[in-house]
Amino acid sequence: MKRIVELTINGEARDMAVEACCSLLDALRDDVGLTGTKKGCDVGDCGACTVLVDGEPVNACLMLAVEAEGRSIETVEGLQPSVDTLHPLQDAFMQHGASQCGFCTPGILMMAKKLLADNPRPTDEDIRFGLSGNICRCTGYTKIFDAIKSAAREMEAARS
Amino acid sequence: MNINTPIEEREFKIVGKSVRRDDVLEKVTGEAEYTGDVKLAGMLYGKTKRATVAHARIKSIDVSKALAYPGVKAVLTHENVPRVLHYGSPHPRSASCTKDQYILDDKVRFWGEGVAAVAAISEEIADEALDLIEVEYEPLPAVFEPEDAAQPGAPLIHEVGPGGNLVLDPVRVNRGNVEAGFAEADFVLEGTFSGGRPHPAYMEPNVCIADWDGSNKLTFWTSTQSSFMVRGILAEVLGLPLTKVRVLVDHMGGGFGAKQDCFQHEFLCALLAKETRRPVKMEFTRHETFIAGRARHPCKIWLKQGFKNDGTLVARDMKLVYDSGAYGSHGPGVTIVGTTAATSLYRCENVRLEGRCVYTNTPINGAFRGYGVVQSYYALDIQMDEAAERLGMDPAELKLKNVVREGDIAPSGHPILGHGLEICLQHGIDVLDWKTLRNRDRTPDPRQPHIRIGWGVGCEMHGSSAYPGIKEQGNATVKVNEDGTVTLLTGAAGLGTGAHTALAQIVAEELGVRFEDVGVIHGDTDVVPWDIGAFASHTTYLVGTAAKMAATKVRAAVLERAAIKLQVSSADLDLSEGTIFLKSDAGRFMTVAEAMGPSRGIPAANIVANGTYEPTKSYSFAAHFTEVHVDTETGIVEVKRVIPVHDIGRVIHPIAAQGQIEGGIQQGIGHTLTEDYVIDKKTGRSLNAGLVDYKMPLSMDMPDIETIILEAAPDPGGPWGAKGVGEDPIIAIGPAIANAIHDAIGVRFHHYPITPEDILKALREKGA
Repeated sequence: MKRIVELTINGEARDMAVEACCSLLDALRDDVGLTGTKKGCDVGDCGACTVLVDGEPVNACLMLAVEAEGRSIETVEGLQPSVDTLHPLQDAFMQHGASQCGFCTPGILMMAKKLLADNPRPTDEDIRFGLSGNICRCTGYTKIFDAIKSAAREMEAARS
Repeated sequence: MNINTPIEEREFKIVGKSVRRDDVLEKVTGEAEYTGDVKLAGMLYGKTKRATVAHARIKSIDVSKALAYPGVKAVLTHENVPRVLHYGSPHPRSASCTKDQYILDDKVRFWGEGVAAVAAISEEIADEALDLIEVEYEPLPAVFEPEDAAQPGAPLIHEVGPGGNLVLDPVRVNRGNVEAGFAEADFVLEGTFSGGRPHPAYMEPNVCIADWDGSNKLTFWTSTQSSFMVRGILAEVLGLPLTKVRVLVDHMGGGFGAKQDCFQHEFLCALLAKETRRPVKMEFTRHETFIAGRARHPCKIWLKQGFKNDGTLVARDMKLVYDSGAYGSHGPGVTIVGTTAATSLYRCENVRLEGRCVYTNTPINGAFRGYGVVQSYYALDIQMDEAAERLGMDPAELKLKNVVREGDIAPSGHPILGHGLEICLQHGIDVLDWKTLRNRDRTPDPRQPHIRIGWGVGCEMHGSSAYPGIKEQGNATVKVNEDGTVTLLTGAAGLGTGAHTALAQIVAEELGVRFEDVGVIHGDTDVVPWDIGAFASHTTYLVGTAAKMAATKVRAAVLERAAIKLQVSSADLDLSEGTIFLKSDAGRFMTVAEAMGPSRGIPAANIVANGTYEPTKSYSFAAHFTEVHVDTETGIVEVKRVIPVHDIGRVIHPIAAQGQIEGGIQQGIGHTLTEDYVIDKKTGRSLNAGLVDYKMPLSMDMPDIETIILEAAPDPGGPWGAKGVGEDPIIAIGPAIANAIHDAIGVRFHHYPITPEDILKALREKGA
């Protein structure tokens, strides 16, 4: 039997009708139609489905949709501050070639957003540690590190 | 286009610049549509029932309970699918490929092979129905190692093919006189080498969606590198005219070679959709991506080489045995390419090579970046390091003395152009001050005396295009629209490499328009020109040249049209950044949009031209230098620095090219140290088919990579001398690491992955 779940997704109040066994990932992709969040393993190993739940990174495949009741979910589709502008992380990922096949990109962007929220001036080690749950198989991570450092500088400059 | 064609020099406006890739805005906003994101009304979900034995006859399959299960719409077994013998790798290849598979067979050849398929109204129901299918097996003796499978009297896995569990007849290459070479040698080195079973582990699990329309036409979305090949083999096996199959692929979540095959689930998906007359989606779990995907061929190599005391190589005798797994897939191609590659890299006049490919009752191995060459060059390069040790020479110096040079015969049979490898190696030696590095003080740091530091170098070369194994053809269509914008139509897949951007750069450069004004249409076999598939590091080289040829034609036509409007001769006109102007008077100009606009009030037709290119092959080169830290207490090897020096001819998009190199190194480090897809040798079961147990290098494991790209030896076969880059970086890093480990702890390893266990065991044996 389906249950109605009321929650906030990317700042908008939403409700969705889901089976009790449905993961947040499947609910986002199939019921809400936000397919930017990717399913790379469905067992919490790869980080491609990383979303922020009340600001904390979560593997959406490991969370039941019903657990999201009353919570605030951020996905890659909500990263842009407005239709015409990109988040500095999005801009930096494009400029630095941090996205190749792009399948890990949404999850890594969300993880990086959380990383920079906690730690606006991360060291290389901080970034490496912060991304240790996100698998990228294309880039060797080098350009992802570059992009996150660059976005951190941009965001710092915008604040000052 | 031939090797005597001079490469045009010009001041580039777009080529060589890291312009914004055409696909990344969608990727960072989440809008990019991958196959798994497609959802059709009334769509059913398909699942595959997988064998729980490695080798067996199916005595019976009872699907009655599954069919009766609420929500199940169709069940397929070998009893109700077309029985068409076909070949899994749908390349236009030579007759060396034996057709060896059915969509579903009454025989199981590996643990995890599909034996039935279900379509249901949800994935969960389909999954549950799989458990209701009852299969009775009559087990057959199974073989899991090529040595066992090749023994006389071994259980036969296939009834077709050359017999003796061979996938193809042995590949033999003979040059010069090997016996005479050995007779001339001052010393001989002989060793056996072996490679594990790394898996490409692309992030996007295989997925496809099939939908039939009322005219019996199949529309097929699938994550493939070779949409036209999938179209061809689906049509052949399903008995349809080619144009009754339309294959669609937009964004792909990686492939690294493995997504070239036409997979079993793709046929099943099409048939389930046909049976139910509803769209059906089949998406692999991560577990299935391992067991039903494609891994690199495990390989055993015996290598014997003769050397003179001055370091000259005088004889090479080599036997390679590749493990194909249960089906042929890319076994023939990998064996041919990997074996013939060993004619080259390090010069040797007298060469005798024999490559075999053997069926075993293990999951299928297929195409994977570095295609057979990863294995053979691992052996060649490590033995070269051993020769240097024996000679008391610096390994880089010995390699420099022996690397192939201009005019040497490449594996393809063509003379090599330029001194790419020599230049890369010398460049690395110079920038690193290699001699000083090698002669450094080797006393361990007293603060961490258990850490030993080592430096190693490895070399590689790899062809852009699969010639001569496959006679290739690249196609492109370029259209100039009525507003002056340009559309490139290409069949090349968007694997994630940035290839479409490179193609658009080439068109914009050649035509003389702004990069932003070139759009790329791809991924629809009903619309774009025929394409061979994205593999063999060839898209920029092959399709790039075709695109440039098409752009040359439309440029001439645009100038003709402008000449009429400007009332001058087209020969007097030039075109740059979207503006056509008189060479003698830049003040007289018009835009491409104006040239394309109506003439005397009559709308003008678009200008369209095709480019078709049939290349031979060019070779790219690389020398990788690496620093490793070996922990003698834990056996863990940390790769600290990699300095990859590559020659890829003309660089079209520097950041994308660097990205290929860095990503290839990541995978190569994994293959060499941690990655091995393990099959139980008693049952044939997969032991680590998941991303936790299959260990890939992640963010914490990556070294600093200081990429150097040299445009040392441009090849006239590619656009402005561009060559391939995709596969090269995964090849040289392996032997570089193995050689660096030797430099650190004095132990030679001849296999990969080199695990901490191996290190500790070797140190113990050495008495360290």
